[in-house]
Amino acid sequence: MNNSSANILDIKNIEVRYDDVILALHDVSLKVPKGKVVALLGANGAGKSTTLKAVSTMLASERGKVTNGSIEYDGNSINKQTPSQMVGLGMVQVLEGRRCFGHLTVEENIISGAYSRKLSKGDINQELEKIYTYFIRLKERRKSQAAFTSGGEQQMIAVARAMMAKPKMLLLDEPTMGLAPQLVAEIFNIVKELNTKEGVSILLAEQNTNVALKNSDYGYIIETGRVMLDGTAQSLLNDDKVKELYLGISKKGRKNFRDVLKEESLTKRSN
Amino acid sequence: MVDELLFFMEVVVGGLLAGTMYSLVALGFVLIFKASATFNFSQGAMVFFSVLAFCGFMQDFNIPFVLAFILAALLMVVVGLCTERLVLRPLMNASEDTVLMATIGLGYVLEGLAQAAWGVEVRRLDLGIGDFPVPWIADNLKLFISALDIFAGLVAALMIIGLFLLFKYTKIGLGLRAVADDAGAASSIGIPLKHIMLLVWSAAGVVALVAGCMWGARAGVQFALVDLALKALPVLIIGGFSSIPGAIVGGLIIGATEKVLEVYIGPFFGGAIEGWAPYVLAIFFLLYRPEGLFGEKIIRRV
Repeated sequence: MNNSSANILDIKNIEVRYDDVILALHDVSLKVPKGKVVALLGANGAGKSTTLKAVSTMLASERGKVTNGSIEYDGNSINKQTPSQMVGLGMVQVLEGRRCFGHLTVEENIISGAYSRKLSKGDINQELEKIYTYFIRLKERRKSQAAFTSGGEQQMIAVARAMMAKPKMLLLDEPTMGLAPQLVAEIFNIVKELNTKEGVSILLAEQNTNVALKNSDYGYIIETGRVMLDGTAQSLLNDDKVKELYLGISKKGRKNFRDVLKEESLTKRSN
Repeated sequence: MVDELLFFMEVVVGGLLAGTMYSLVALGFVLIFKASATFNFSQGAMVFFSVLAFCGFMQDFNIPFVLAFILAALLMVVVGLCTERLVLRPLMNASEDTVLMATIGLGYVLEGLAQAAWGVEVRRLDLGIGDFPVPWIADNLKLFISALDIFAGLVAALMIIGLFLLFKYTKIGLGLRAVADDAGAASSIGIPLKHIMLLVWSAAGVVALVAGCMWGARAGVQFALVDLALKALPVLIIGGFSSIPGAIVGGLIIGATEKVLEVYIGPFFGGAIEGWAPYVLAIFFLLYRPEGLFGEKIIRRV
């Protein structure tokens, strides 16, 4: 972990502001080792998406800026890159909410991911067939208009489209948002497969703490723009605070954040 | 009775053929609207600018017809390039309204540049095709249809087919359609927006040049072309802003109805209603079918 060349991504103490005023990230540091899956966990508004967008340099299009700290990808600083340059360097973000091209067919959506690569028609078809081995469902629906496919299929389209760019690293922003448990498992299986078979490093923002940690090597928990806790996925799954606040399980039974606070104030009062 | 019917046919066919040019110009608007969600108010100025440059190359520099046309087309690509670099890129993250205002400003700049470079007098443009009825059609079908109208219709149809093939079957066409659907997602997978912008502005520029040639050949190359091109606005309101088939059908509808209204209702208003009749039609559409005939409804899965 300490050897910097072993990390494909190294974020050091970044601070991010929107419109030069709104401070979205205070101090976030995280590392993604080559070939690993790292989960970035936290509630709505904690700064997960902002962190991913800082890495993919998509922040600029939302008037956001990294105002402090540094981000190194594959040993190089990503200061002056544009999103399409980052894609060229093998870093692709799958945006929150899937964002398929609704009027294009499923296959056109996937092919559009190869835009940045100079491929012949034959090469594209070859790549397409390889991608379809991971996303069997999509092959059946290749001619449908993307807007009319299901939420799970749209998420698969978004990931398949990103894979067509031949990434070394994928940034997945809430890939399981709004999906049924069965589909959540299916998506994670695919993500794991891409990680092991294609060697893609993955940084994954999720609210679904349990499933995310079970499918990751390492995890970071952020709240209000700060990293609160980090550790191996296994250690986080066994951590009492994580269990209570993010997994809703504890020895005393199911609990939410408010219950914990209430209980603490009650014990204080009785003392 | 038969004569009246023939005359009506003549008016409609003439209108439809003239309408193909509206379709073509509207197509230029649709391209830009799809890529940047902005109505390009400078399209009229682009028509004027391009065709005036074309005439200038031929008449002031004695450059042969074909070469002058190619030069003017290249000039429009350069205009597209400059627009992308100097206007659109700095406004990349600005609101759509800001970009809209910028296109109005761009229009004035182009009008000014054109007149500064080539002067203000009306120029004659001879395409080698006369604006008179084709004898063969007049003899066999008893319809008097102008050769220029037929030529314009053919050219417009060819360009529309060409653009359709470009968007459907080329890589950059796929990129354009992706950007039109979701520019953010397109940039996240590495489709460079600046290439797409350059493509649509250049295509719109060449389309403007072609339309300018047809209109210039009929009415002279003059400042009024700017307003003529803005008739694409009612065309798009009727056809739908984001629809290529809509631009084509809308153009034909405007072309035919404005001629029919001019001939049959015009006299009650003292004539020359074709200048404003399309806008009245557009108001009815705005009231009763604001998305236009072919406007892409937002697809929502339920």
